Amino acid sequence: MSTYFLTHFTSQTLGTLGAGLSTLPWLSASILFPIGSAFVIPFFPDKGDGKEVRWFALSIALITFLITVGSYINGFDIKNENVQLKENISWLPDLGLTWSVGADGVSMPLILLTSFITALAVLAAWPVKFKPKLFFFLILVMDGGQIAVFAVQDMLLFFLTWELELIPVYLLLAIWGGKNRQYAATKFIIYTAGSSIFILLAALAMGFYGTEIPNFEFSHLANQDFSQRFQIICYVGLLIAFGVKLPIVPLHTWLPDAHGEATAPVHMLLAGILLKMGGYALLRFNAQLLPVAHAQFAPLLIVLGVVNIIYAALTSFAQRNLKRKIAYSSISHMGFVLIGIGSFSSLGTSGAMLQMVSHGLIGASLFFLVGATYDRTKTLKLDEMSGVGQKMRIMFALWTACSLASLALPGMSGFVSELMVFTGFVTDEVYTLPFRIVMASLAAVGVILTPIYLLSMLREIFFGKENPKLTEERKLIDAEPREVYIIACLLLPIIGIGLYPRLVTESYLASINNLVDRDLLAVKNSVKTNIFSGTKKNEILKAPSI
Amino acid sequence: MPQASEIAWLIPVFPLIGAVLSGLGLISINEKINNSRRIVSVGLISFVGISAVISYKALIEQINGYESVEKLFIWANAGDFTIPMGFILDPLGSVMLALVTTITLLVMIYSHGYMAHDKGYVRFFTYLALFSSSMMGLIISPNLLEIYVFWELVGMCSYLLVGFWYDRDGAAHAAQKAFVVNRVGDFGLLLGILGLFWATNSFDFNEIATGISQSVSDNSIPIWAALLLCFLVFLGPMAKSAQFPLHVWLPDAMEGPTPISALIHAATMVAAGIFLVARLQPLYSIFPSIQFIIAFVGTITCFLGASIALTQMDLKKGLAYSTVSQLGYMMLAMGCGAPVAGIFHLVTHACFKAMLFLGSGSVIHAMEEVVGHQPILAQDMRLMGGLRKKMPYTSATFLIGCIAISGIPPLAGFWSKDEILGNAFISFPAFWFIGLLTAGMTAFYMFRLYFLTFEGDFRGENKDLQKELLIASKVNLEEENGEEHPEHGYIHESPWSMTFPLVFLAVPSVIIGLMGLPWDSKFSYLLDPEEAEIAVKSFELNEFLPLAIASVFIASAGIFIAYQAYFAKKINLSILFAEKFPTINQFLSNKWYLDAINEKLFVKGSRKLAKEVLEVDSKVVDGIVNLTGLVTLGSGEGLKYFETGRAQFYALIVFGGVILLVAIFGFQSPQVT
Repeated sequence: MSTYFLTHFTSQTLGTLGAGLSTLPWLSASILFPIGSAFVIPFFPDKGDGKEVRWFALSIALITFLITVGSYINGFDIKNENVQLKENISWLPDLGLTWSVGADGVSMPLILLTSFITALAVLAAWPVKFKPKLFFFLILVMDGGQIAVFAVQDMLLFFLTWELELIPVYLLLAIWGGKNRQYAATKFIIYTAGSSIFILLAALAMGFYGTEIPNFEFSHLANQDFSQRFQIICYVGLLIAFGVKLPIVPLHTWLPDAHGEATAPVHMLLAGILLKMGGYALLRFNAQLLPVAHAQFAPLLIVLGVVNIIYAALTSFAQRNLKRKIAYSSISHMGFVLIGIGSFSSLGTSGAMLQMVSHGLIGASLFFLVGATYDRTKTLKLDEMSGVGQKMRIMFALWTACSLASLALPGMSGFVSELMVFTGFVTDEVYTLPFRIVMASLAAVGVILTPIYLLSMLREIFFGKENPKLTEERKLIDAEPREVYIIACLLLPIIGIGLYPRLVTESYLASINNLVDRDLLAVKNSVKTNIFSGTKKNEILKAPSI
Repeated sequence: MPQASEIAWLIPVFPLIGAVLSGLGLISINEKINNSRRIVSVGLISFVGISAVISYKALIEQINGYESVEKLFIWANAGDFTIPMGFILDPLGSVMLALVTTITLLVMIYSHGYMAHDKGYVRFFTYLALFSSSMMGLIISPNLLEIYVFWELVGMCSYLLVGFWYDRDGAAHAAQKAFVVNRVGDFGLLLGILGLFWATNSFDFNEIATGISQSVSDNSIPIWAALLLCFLVFLGPMAKSAQFPLHVWLPDAMEGPTPISALIHAATMVAAGIFLVARLQPLYSIFPSIQFIIAFVGTITCFLGASIALTQMDLKKGLAYSTVSQLGYMMLAMGCGAPVAGIFHLVTHACFKAMLFLGSGSVIHAMEEVVGHQPILAQDMRLMGGLRKKMPYTSATFLIGCIAISGIPPLAGFWSKDEILGNAFISFPAFWFIGLLTAGMTAFYMFRLYFLTFEGDFRGENKDLQKELLIASKVNLEEENGEEHPEHGYIHESPWSMTFPLVFLAVPSVIIGLMGLPWDSKFSYLLDPEEAEIAVKSFELNEFLPLAIASVFIASAGIFIAYQAYFAKKINLSILFAEKFPTINQFLSNKWYLDAINEKLFVKGSRKLAKEVLEVDSKVVDGIVNLTGLVTLGSGEGLKYFETGRAQFYALIVFGGVILLVAIFGFQSPQVT
């Protein structure tokens, strides 16, 4: 299978070298290159310390990043709202399965995010000494797989890549995790695999809808005129599947376990990219392909988003385990993505998009710091830490910077995305005024809760008198250059976006506008049959309200 | 050379560059940069100095009638929305910029002496530069959203600086409290800004005001909604400017180094709330009920701060409550629709309160030589006394500050406070009365501070008293004893770098009031020429004199009582008052029990709630999951495969399953339609 593509890829590359950069199969390359390279790793001579493998993996990850950047620069026009960089090869025509990749504004930033975070995760995995070959093999496979999730333009293929993704994550959790890794990994796999059956069902239903020859291409599905009832059934199924991934409370309980047990680099990938698959898929399928159902369910998304924000912030506050605390904070931040997706305004939806990118960076940085701190303290219990800041000053500074980014300090990306979501939702005439007031006020409670748990956490780790038990037993060395470098790489875009958000928002604005317009149209048409409100205001566009 | 007003955006940029450079230095070449403190401090002071030069040039241009400058660019956009950012330089902004840059410079010079022995010297200067940059950014913000951005940034700097000595538990808690209480205010501010944007489609101060008044008059927005939005926005200034009941963070924030208390928690950042209300005057002046609320909150705060300050024994805490009280005066002025008076008091207060705080820092610096670095001892006035002879500059400037804040003419505080009281007398006579009463209390507690600290005999060597104080403050004595090294120092005047700012600030504390004489106010001519014209024309000496005499009289009475009680020792207040009214005394020394309520209700309450939610999460939500997991898989073979890590098996299942399903579905036509 992969050889087929490799040969195809090379022949096409050679054939089109002269034909200009924009016609290169950029996306296929960025998917297949890391996966293909990963298969070289088993043939490395095994010395046990994994030095060569590390460097090899890092260079592959960097090249992959460069390929994705190249695709963005050479083949992607930000003004075009349609899918670009398209490649279409029939794979199993009998099943309607085609190798169809491409990128529009919604996928492109996430593809870049993926290759960027993965490269940093490889660097973060420098100290991995246990089975390094397998570890880096899996990371590279994951890299390609994740890019594929965002790039494929065929729903059946999407399902396959979504599932394929689970295997490396499962192994990375189960082999390199903490004490309860088996439990966490099992829980993770059961949750995601169990829920993703809905993706398959929905894909098949949608692909076969109204035709004898199945067609799973997004472009085909987007033009289908699904009946309302059909849309609602598919929507519910997909919401569950993606809700597990995002995660949406109460489908979230796999996440604290998985995140609580994962090692730092895996952690970065989980928080930085894996959660974004849920948000991306909600946008791609629920909001884009099922607009009629989306008009019905959007208020529910808003409510769930608010629940996410408050519920997870409170649980995070009560958590005494550092990793789980940050894990819950991720859930809380994902609430804004839900609100943004449900907002029917292009400002709010771009806010959701930006929140995904922003949290990808901030979450990855925090989780990396958790790992780096654990390497030194060998404990994650807040009760066993205190006054660590006196020995680890630079670490303290990095922690402070990343925590401030996470609590949406202006000048950093989190602030912009949350502000866009808020503004988009509040000014959005689709919802009734009381609904907006209540939901915005509740969501804004997060503004108070987030600093409470994050600053308490900082206080308990770094401030105060040194805990003699800890300082005597452990060598608390300050951050080393590699660690500073990783955080600097993450903070740079965080602050860059915070200062000038159009750096990122421009790249997907056209696609988001297009998507929102379509949803708005659906809202207009669905006013009469709104299952939530039952109101029959036909003239004005004030449909979904609870 | 371009006009300074046109390049005002550079003012915050210079200190920012400095802060970024030294911040990067701290991260990358920590030791080297800590060893070259002189270069860092001189560099950062010059960066702020450049900003100060531009600010003063801009101020002069504004005085000479140069037009206000506003420039915007599109910062974020989506759909039909655009969010503009940029800068504005107008008379109000130029006055504030000159004030902030001046005090920042003086505080930086002072810090060179005060922090000389601190190993965090470079970090301290970096934070200072960062703060000054954010504060200047706040001042030149042309719209609400940009103000919010810098508003949060100054809050962050305050957090970093209050928690500067992070090995102290008190500092850690105070820093967090400051940030969280401010976030409560920001919660309102954010919602208010969003709501106003919804209502008027703008973040611009004037556009918001006209938009709201239009919408209210044509009934497109209900009046209650408009009032609610105005109030929500007001929550921000309430927290930032320490207005009741959100003032609780400010006294705790005194855990930070004293130069910070002077700069951030007396002169500049806490004034940001007043500044924002002044910027929003076009909006607030539409709604008399909101004006009333503002005046009301201001009056309560003013009285509350002064009453608590009466019983404080900690020098810095006393000054902190005095700041709370003075901020209340400014807010009262805003509520009376007299923003110029409020801003004028802001300026005069910034000068003398910064001086007072720096003076207290000088005292503490000297005290630490005798009693050690324990703040409970070094800041307690029961251990001070008689410092005047040993610290002539400090005591003289402190005395000037006390006279100025008490409102004795012709020093600065008299003119600005009297203007506020005069306005209150016209708008809300009851509030005027409370304000007048507070003026008397102010004079009393300020001179109480002065007499206890600088007059009488030195009490610092009294070891029993020291022990008693330590026990009373519940410091773990055993732990402290381990670190204690007996101090054999003696009290001496601080180095020039610390006395110079004191002397420098004494000058405006004396004369700046003359800028705002009620019959010829240069200050209001600059900020609001039309209003000034009217004020000058309607000025009548017979109206001014009775009020002025009343406030001077009550201030003198306060000073007299303080003199009798703490200098001449002719009356004993504890017998005369404290023992007769123990409840009132308790009430005041427990700070109206507000801290206790806050602790019980909000801190413990939120902890409890969070714990309960976590219980639900781990027991109920996760419990159900695990239960279903056990029932379906627990006994089966499936779990065994997963647990042994045979993922290949899983992969096989998935792929097999997919193929199977596809095959099945492939041969059947869809049922779902």
